[in-house]
Amino acid sequence: MNPNPFLTQNRRAFLQKTGFGFGSAAFASLMNQDAAAATDQPLAKLGLHHAPKAKRVIYIHLVGAPSHLDLFDFKPELQKRTGQLCPDEFFDLNQLAFIRKQPNLLGTPKDERFAFKKCGKSGTEISNLLPNLQGVADEMCFIKTLHTEQFNHAPAQMFALTGFERFGRPSIGSWASYGLGSENQNLPGFVVLITGQVLGAGNSAFGSGFLPTIHQGVEFRSKGDPVLYLSNPDGVSHGERRVVVDAVKDLNQVALDDVGDPEIATRINQYEMAYRMQTSVPELMDIKSEPKRIHEMYGTKPGQSSFANNCLLARRLVERGVRFVQLFDQGWDHHGGVFDNLPKKARQVDQPIAALIKDLRERGLLEDTLIVWNAEFGRTPMAQGTSGDGSTQSKAGRDHHKEAYSVWMAGGGTKPGHVFGETDELGYGIAKDPVHVHDFNATILHLLGIDHERLTFRYQGRQFRLTDVHGKVVKGVLA
Amino acid sequence: MLIRRVIASLLILPWMALQAEGDAPDFNREIRPILAENCFHCHGPDEKSREGGLRLDTFKGATEGGEFADPVVPGKPDESELIARIYSKDPEELMPPPDAKRTLTEKEKKLLERWIASGAKYEEHWAWVSPVRASVPGNKPVDTFILRRLEQEGLKFSKPATSGNLLRRLSLDLIGLPPSPDDFERFSNGGDYEAEVDRLLASPRFGERWARHWLDLARYADSNGFQADQLRPSWAYRDWVIDALNSNMPYDQFTIEQLAGDLLPKSDLRQKIATGFHRTVTCNVEAGVSPEGNRMNQVFDRVNTTATVWLGVTLECAQCHDHKFDPFTMKDYYSLFAYFNNTPIEVQPPSNKNDVSHDFVGPYLDLPLSPEQQRKADQLDEMIADLTREREKLNEGSESEFVAWQESALASLTSQPKWQAMKVTAFQSSGGDEHRVLKNGSVLLTGKVPDTATYTVEVETELRDITGFRLETLPHPDLPGKGPGRGDAVRPNFVLHEFRAALKEGGKERPIALQKAEADFSQKNWGVAGAIDGKAKTGWAISPQFGRPHQATFELVEPILNASGSKFVFQLLQNFGKGRVIGNVRISAISDPSGAGSLPPGIVAILKKSEGKRNAKQVENLRSHFLNSDPKLVRLEAQLARLKKERSDLKVDQTLVMVELEKPRKTHILKRGNFLAPDVEVTPGTPTRLPKLENSSNRLDLAKWLVRRDNPLTARVAVNRWWAELFGNGIVATLEDFGTQSEPPTHPELLDWLAVELMESGWDMKHVLKTIVMSQTYGQSSRLTPELLEKDPRNLLFARAPRFRMDAERLRDNALTISGLLSTKMHGKPIMPYQPNGLWRQTGRNEPKWVEQKDENRWRRGIYIVYRRAAPYPSMVNFDAPDRSSCTVQRPRTNTPIQALTMLNDPAYVEMALALADRILTESKAPNERVNYAFGLTLGRSATPREMKIIEELVRSRGEYYRGNQNKLNAVLKSPKFFYNPKHENKIELATWFQVANALLNLDEVMTRN
Repeated sequence: MNPNPFLTQNRRAFLQKTGFGFGSAAFASLMNQDAAAATDQPLAKLGLHHAPKAKRVIYIHLVGAPSHLDLFDFKPELQKRTGQLCPDEFFDLNQLAFIRKQPNLLGTPKDERFAFKKCGKSGTEISNLLPNLQGVADEMCFIKTLHTEQFNHAPAQMFALTGFERFGRPSIGSWASYGLGSENQNLPGFVVLITGQVLGAGNSAFGSGFLPTIHQGVEFRSKGDPVLYLSNPDGVSHGERRVVVDAVKDLNQVALDDVGDPEIATRINQYEMAYRMQTSVPELMDIKSEPKRIHEMYGTKPGQSSFANNCLLARRLVERGVRFVQLFDQGWDHHGGVFDNLPKKARQVDQPIAALIKDLRERGLLEDTLIVWNAEFGRTPMAQGTSGDGSTQSKAGRDHHKEAYSVWMAGGGTKPGHVFGETDELGYGIAKDPVHVHDFNATILHLLGIDHERLTFRYQGRQFRLTDVHGKVVKGVLA
Repeated sequence: MLIRRVIASLLILPWMALQAEGDAPDFNREIRPILAENCFHCHGPDEKSREGGLRLDTFKGATEGGEFADPVVPGKPDESELIARIYSKDPEELMPPPDAKRTLTEKEKKLLERWIASGAKYEEHWAWVSPVRASVPGNKPVDTFILRRLEQEGLKFSKPATSGNLLRRLSLDLIGLPPSPDDFERFSNGGDYEAEVDRLLASPRFGERWARHWLDLARYADSNGFQADQLRPSWAYRDWVIDALNSNMPYDQFTIEQLAGDLLPKSDLRQKIATGFHRTVTCNVEAGVSPEGNRMNQVFDRVNTTATVWLGVTLECAQCHDHKFDPFTMKDYYSLFAYFNNTPIEVQPPSNKNDVSHDFVGPYLDLPLSPEQQRKADQLDEMIADLTREREKLNEGSESEFVAWQESALASLTSQPKWQAMKVTAFQSSGGDEHRVLKNGSVLLTGKVPDTATYTVEVETELRDITGFRLETLPHPDLPGKGPGRGDAVRPNFVLHEFRAALKEGGKERPIALQKAEADFSQKNWGVAGAIDGKAKTGWAISPQFGRPHQATFELVEPILNASGSKFVFQLLQNFGKGRVIGNVRISAISDPSGAGSLPPGIVAILKKSEGKRNAKQVENLRSHFLNSDPKLVRLEAQLARLKKERSDLKVDQTLVMVELEKPRKTHILKRGNFLAPDVEVTPGTPTRLPKLENSSNRLDLAKWLVRRDNPLTARVAVNRWWAELFGNGIVATLEDFGTQSEPPTHPELLDWLAVELMESGWDMKHVLKTIVMSQTYGQSSRLTPELLEKDPRNLLFARAPRFRMDAERLRDNALTISGLLSTKMHGKPIMPYQPNGLWRQTGRNEPKWVEQKDENRWRRGIYIVYRRAAPYPSMVNFDAPDRSSCTVQRPRTNTPIQALTMLNDPAYVEMALALADRILTESKAPNERVNYAFGLTLGRSATPREMKIIEELVRSRGEYYRGNQNKLNAVLKSPKFFYNPKHENKIELATWFQVANALLNLDEVMTRN
């Protein structure tokens, strides 16, 4: 038995955290097995709650929240009524972040550039702003009725990603890592790639909360050291490093022989792994070795820091057994000039995401890799930016909208070429099949073979889980 | 396989074994956990979710039974419905129901049966009952309780730790730093242990070490958290904690001042600073946030943190519903909430509309100037006084010159030269508009209004010896709103970004330098100087004085001394957009070598008045105009202005504090915790299950109640945390939870003894710590024998001392001390040592910036490093430091490859390795003693033969390498990341020992408190 060192946290701390009687320990309770069977092995090695459809996740979070109405959820009626004052209840009942007086409706422009097209065999409607994604529509499974409880960025990001609007809870990637571990001895189970600034929720968006910190998302950076402190001190070569690491190992072995604390054995292993990471991580991050065809497909340029590069890195990470890769892309918060800014952002992500789907498909990885497109909320069908005379300003935008927004998944056991749920004719509320954030998270865990009600961690005297006491798996999106 | 065996053995620890069949099970230890875990969710204290009217958390409820006849019949399991249900094969009948996804093990079912058979006795949860001191024989209470239990399990104390090991442990535990070589020397030569304990408890380093522990609880950080995560001043509170711990402030006072220092009668400055404890909460200033929603979240945090820190209970559940397991209701929760509901709102929508964040408006307290600031202030005040005197002297001496100047200026006025309009010979506008030259010599622009335009005006004049130009912008009836701009009739403004002049000579254009731009009127922030500063963004505009003529004059740096006429080319750049261009323009020239003509119109007007008719203000203006032409005075004035600014920049520092509103807010129970859904009103009060607090109204009452002698929790919770700091485990393992779901104490009598001792010693923290560290239990060896690993892998019985990896701050402080770099400078603004570039830039906005300190500040203790929630100091995060966004009772303790990378490669630690190498080489001259010297510094012992051999081999191989590769020396020793400048001159030795020191700092034993 050679447990993944990334999961072998300090055993003392582990035992401390998981409780006195193992009957209540996380893995054992997950398993509903007798306490004696419990080890510090992740669920994946012990057997999941049910057969998983997805073995890994690439989770793309569009920070700031894209205008789903202009990308995925076309509303002809809204387009028709553009410029009309919105119905009273849209304004009276809604907590709006920025709009302070009753706004006008704002439809997608009647312009070929913004037109929607029925795509593929499924006929799913996708905006012309995303021509490449139009080409893989038959792989995508849309939820048009996701809704949340928070309408400010940071709390909504935490709510979407940790199931709780304030600080302190583990993120979905940490829960997945806690449940499944990493398949790669040399890489963490949960890796984060960021373009633009870090989002408002900060590290909490990929933090491990009260779970052991070993499950927190490790950011791989495109500038400087890909993992902080990966590089040797100035002037010290990898070969020279070996000599020092060997000396440390030998000296720690002396201590282990003397004191007998298994913790020292773990530390010796971790130093070995650190040394290996110094080779494996740069190798992973170096996309130069990818063929030209792949670079053209993704639109990647080696050495650059770009969303496209991160999509390609995501594939390289999951290929190497990383369980959960999370991409954050900043710059979608279009309160003003949405019809100028959205096309620019759409162009940045359209080609690489479509390439990622195709690339995974070609490699046979799409069927057990789940791709997720999500944001902290959607955007209003009402215009933000109404002039004094009541007309809509030419550079209008959309405010934060928590009542309904569109997200999609692909691969990993989701129903391809499918649309679940329906919003009302103005795209404000839900007409059919609402999906709450907790339902969405329950569904992701379900696809990974985990029952969201049974993936728990004991803290402060009670069992915590990602979905609090809520969440229903959305059966309608399962293949 | 080791792991599996260890864990399996844990589950059947002999001392945990159940009593023989037939004995009554222990309710608190064996029965309540089963009921709590499986039944209370639907049959517990929460009335709203109670099923069938049955509650099983009280004897009354279980025996009376709601809708059920006989859920529990004491003594008769066969007649008890509960037993029938847990064994039922019918899914409709089975308890817990299948959809609850909880199942009882056979063992648990048997236990419940035996419990009912033995009379179904309920006992109050131990933690709700006040602690009573058990009598102990002898004067070693800690050892007595520990040993009693060890003997029950057939174990005994381990042998004592070696003296070096013990002193290192004690020092790292009490002050967070390792002993110095002198300390080791003194102690190993028969030093007195108690004297060492007293020395360390009295050290100012003590407060810095224990503040780390407290500040995790207080979720202290230097930033707001959330979106922009801007810095805010709270460090005075951090310093207050350090000082309070150093002065051994009694824990009851420590509690009261932090929770309610502002409400104490005649509270002093320090007591107000202490209330920073509850101003450390996160604050969302994200645009669009609801200020009231933000306030509510902050109050929730204050309630939850208070409950966790003092009561050791998790109240959070009762925010939305009655607690499922513990006897706390929503009413209890919001009654506690009411104490904290009376502080002002902390964010409001931005005062400046262009701001992307809300304003942070919570109460600040001004601090007095620090001694350092005070010294600086005194110095500045003195310099300002000196310069002021000097200026006065100059002014006095110049009185006669002033009179003379007035006379000559007045004389020149009478013969003042006149501006002469120049003849326009060509005009071109890049905007493509049309123009015509008017009789008055001006150019009127007509036709299409361009967004932006550059006018090129060619003129000629017969004037000689030209010293200045004048640009006039004139109104005209054809212009919208009469002009002078062309853009729109309401705001006919213009923006002249640049005014350029050139002399045309023999077909060439020679640029003319202009200075002293003055205008009759300039719009705010659009001064005319901006038109000749060469900057594209500045310029001259005239809003709101539309519809009237304006003029700007420019002096030539070098007058054009010519015999006959000249030709000039002017360029007027107007790039603002929206037609903010001049509609009617005229350019004139002047010849005025005396300079009188360049007097501003205001000064001219004063000069023209007779002396008697000038008022005081006018005389002053005249004098200052005169003085400003004296270069010496101008220099003096500039110097004075600079000093005055520096003095006014020496602002007092501020810190965040609690302030109570004069009129308390009403508090309501909030449905589902939603502040938009208030339910019934409640008044301040403490949880009903705990000792009653009569007639309380504010935080001060609450704080005093927390430290009342009959409060069963506060003292226990505190001593348990301190115990865990010293032993790695609490006596109650769940430090953050003493509720019914918590782990029972391993040594309940010891816990209570310590709790009572704390209270009866006058809440003396240092006394309790001393009592613990003076024990034999504390002084044992930490060696792990196979027997101990088998019998007690978690060290719950304390048959050995624990060994564990130190927390992030202690790792840093330890390495800094060993390397000799540590700065013991205390207090003040947070520090910024080395961290990799760009981490903060990514976090949001351009401010704040990480400015690495290249002075002793970079080597100060970890407690002083700036704590920014979105991006805490990364090397500490890697060692499990929290982001301080919420209360952390116990940091996890992981062992990861990222930690190995940090210790090996973080340039901050690498610099320490360099300094350590230098220290070894300079302090230990004899090469054959260096290895032992190095071990003495890092571990307080000499190397074992095996260790010696490994290090000697490393020294040999590295020495050989660097002797053969001397070209590599500078790359290693002269890294730009180093600020430390080594003293040892032999570079080969230095590089060799640098590698050795790097290895030493990475030893498990160096990172471990053992």
